[in-house]
Amino acid sequence: MNQTMTNMLNKSETKLRARRKAGWLIFLLIAVAAVAMVLVPTLKIMPFKPQTARDIELSYALRRWAPLATAGASVIALALAVWLWQGAGRWRWLRRAALVLLLVPPLAAAWFARQNHFEWIFNPLRAATHTAADEARFVGDGEMVMAVELNNDAVAYPVRQVAYHHVIQDTVGGVPIVVTY
Amino acid sequence: MWEATVNGRKLNFHLAGINNQNFIMQDEETGSWWQQVTGEAIQGPLKGSRLKAVFHDELTFSMWKHERPAGQVLRPDDSAPWKEFSEDWETKTARMPVVTRAAPDDPLQPRDLVIGLKVNGAAKAYPLAALQAQNPIVDTLGGVPIVIVLGDDRASVRAFERQVDGRALELFMKAGVAPQLVDAETGSAWDFTGRSQAGPLAGRQLQKIPLLKDYWFDWKLYNPQTAVYRLGTR
Repeated sequence: MNQTMTNMLNKSETKLRARRKAGWLIFLLIAVAAVAMVLVPTLKIMPFKPQTARDIELSYALRRWAPLATAGASVIALALAVWLWQGAGRWRWLRRAALVLLLVPPLAAAWFARQNHFEWIFNPLRAATHTAADEARFVGDGEMVMAVELNNDAVAYPVRQVAYHHVIQDTVGGVPIVVTY
Repeated sequence: MWEATVNGRKLNFHLAGINNQNFIMQDEETGSWWQQVTGEAIQGPLKGSRLKAVFHDELTFSMWKHERPAGQVLRPDDSAPWKEFSEDWETKTARMPVVTRAAPDDPLQPRDLVIGLKVNGAAKAYPLAALQAQNPIVDTLGGVPIVIVLGDDRASVRAFERQVDGRALELFMKAGVAPQLVDAETGSAWDFTGRSQAGPLAGRQLQKIPLLKDYWFDWKLYNPQTAVYRLGTR
């Protein structure tokens, strides 16, 4: 090996090192960005916190694009992890462990972006079913109900149920309605 | 309560968030966000659209059952371990904090319950406590003579246009063994459904007005120009 070749090899080695460093940086940024994308709207639209119109607008935009963006972030993160996985060196295993750990945030964000965490707390009612008024033992006489009458069909929605689910979809007298409290 | 159809398309709604303690729904079909209390789309492709309100009453179960013995009741969700609020949910909720700032000259406390009425664009809040102290409340709102009546159960509330054939009626509670809602003009007796049961106007029906039982802070947030009814005023 002559001197020129050694120089060239060293140069390409340095270049590769710089690239891998950039790879790590991008990986880190992607992990942070993916988490921020789902965390910001979750923190902005929390109960018992005030919201401005701007908060709502930002949260809507983030929630809308989070499924796509976090999936993209996960794909890039995986590709980077595969690429950074190679290479020898004394710290190889530590590096690989770090890669696996860094994969968790974007993948978790991609999963969370597809969840409705409000419905974790307040389960949606899959299908509304009814009971005749005189057989409804589950409602106390003094309890409040939301009463509707459409095309001669009368249905009562106990407020305690509606307040829990928040949203109940039903059809009364042939009219699809959404009951909210 | 809203019609679930917008521009001929049936939408499926989900709980999707909260905006100053009034919740946001999202429809599956367009992903738009809707404000629960106004029925207006506030974000997304349908922004600016409004759901059509469905008239409904808020009554005690016994009052409703008495009026609609053949009616149907929503059955609780058996799939969820926690399927409805506890029986004392109102007391608990009343103690929860309010995030919107109260004006220094606010006549009511944020969690005071009001009967919110909107007639011809004029909004007015009638404190439930005022109605419980003085039943019925007779007023004029948006140029329309109205009456708010508290049911015998002291919890159910209805509002009506108090006029028949363009003639306004002065309604009051006539004392007796069973107090009776009577109009001063003809002496006819009226029941809680707004129907006259006896007297010259027997069989006539007063027009119901939609009302919203709401916390004062929430009513005021969405009706910033609202008036507030005080006992002894018209």
